[in-house]
Amino acid sequence: MAYKLELEKTDLTPYVLIDEEKGYMVFEGESYHENVISFFKEINEWLNAFLKTDFDSFTFDCELKYFNSSTVKVLLNILRDMDNSKNNKKITVNWITGKRNRIITECGEDFNEDLENITFNLIIKETKY
Amino acid sequence: MIIDMIDWHRMLHDKRITLIYSGPLWSEGIGGIAGTLKKRLEFDALPMETSQEVFSVFVEQMNNMLMYSAEKEQFGATDKRQEESPKGTFILGKEGKTYFVQTGNVMKNASVESVKNKIDYLNTLNKEELRKYYKKQMKLPSGNLESKGAGLGFIEIARRISSKIKYSFVPYDEGLTFFSLYVTISGEN
Repeated sequence: MAYKLELEKTDLTPYVLIDEEKGYMVFEGESYHENVISFFKEINEWLNAFLKTDFDSFTFDCELKYFNSSTVKVLLNILRDMDNSKNNKKITVNWITGKRNRIITECGEDFNEDLENITFNLIIKETKY
Repeated sequence: MIIDMIDWHRMLHDKRITLIYSGPLWSEGIGGIAGTLKKRLEFDALPMETSQEVFSVFVEQMNNMLMYSAEKEQFGATDKRQEESPKGTFILGKEGKTYFVQTGNVMKNASVESVKNKIDYLNTLNKEELRKYYKKQMKLPSGNLESKGAGLGFIEIARRISSKIKYSFVPYDEGLTFFSLYVTISGEN
């Protein structure tokens, strides 16, 4: 059965939706737990297994307004795993942020410099954030 | 003990202090203080960039203190689980359009040298160099960071502030040192 996960956001952790059948994952909100690795453990385990399968396409919308430096490492690892996977050409990452959100925008730019295979779209909205 | 509130009230006003937290640090507690901080920054109607910079410095330094403070407080007065929480102090103030953040926590003497070296190095870098250094460090596995933890956290703080990182280390109890950090964030972007 296709994997499905939905986590409501908290003060410290983001909203997460994973729908394997639709080939879709989204993170929204904020992430600043000091031990963020444990929060993303299940997601990482699923993703690593999924990336080995023959999926048609996969889209990851990352629409986080703020994250701490521990989360940066987790996100970088997720993007690297996608970039190094065998079906990397079928993966699209939409890095969605607001035009005044310098921290998230710069982070997206820095990540993008190292990604060679997946499609990485930096989408800057006209919103407040 | 009764605290003379008028003196405190005047002192906080004279020192331009707008938010103080001192006590145990744990994840959900930090989330709660973060909510208060956000409301306080909303009240000041700051540019998005400034409030995000202040918030980021708050989160990174709270996380640093949570992970490395050597002074502990027991969870719940009658709790038998023996759970402990690290302690730290956070102060936010505002002078004119400039915010200042001061924090204090107890640390082990053995960590002083590496923290000091790390901050001294960061203080020699400009913003573009800090961005490059951050990028280099974020790619290292956690165990390989140049100083134990607080690897990216201090770099992130250095990237967001308008000053250098000021600090002091004062002898505390045996084997321990009190570490204070002082940074400013410009409200004019």
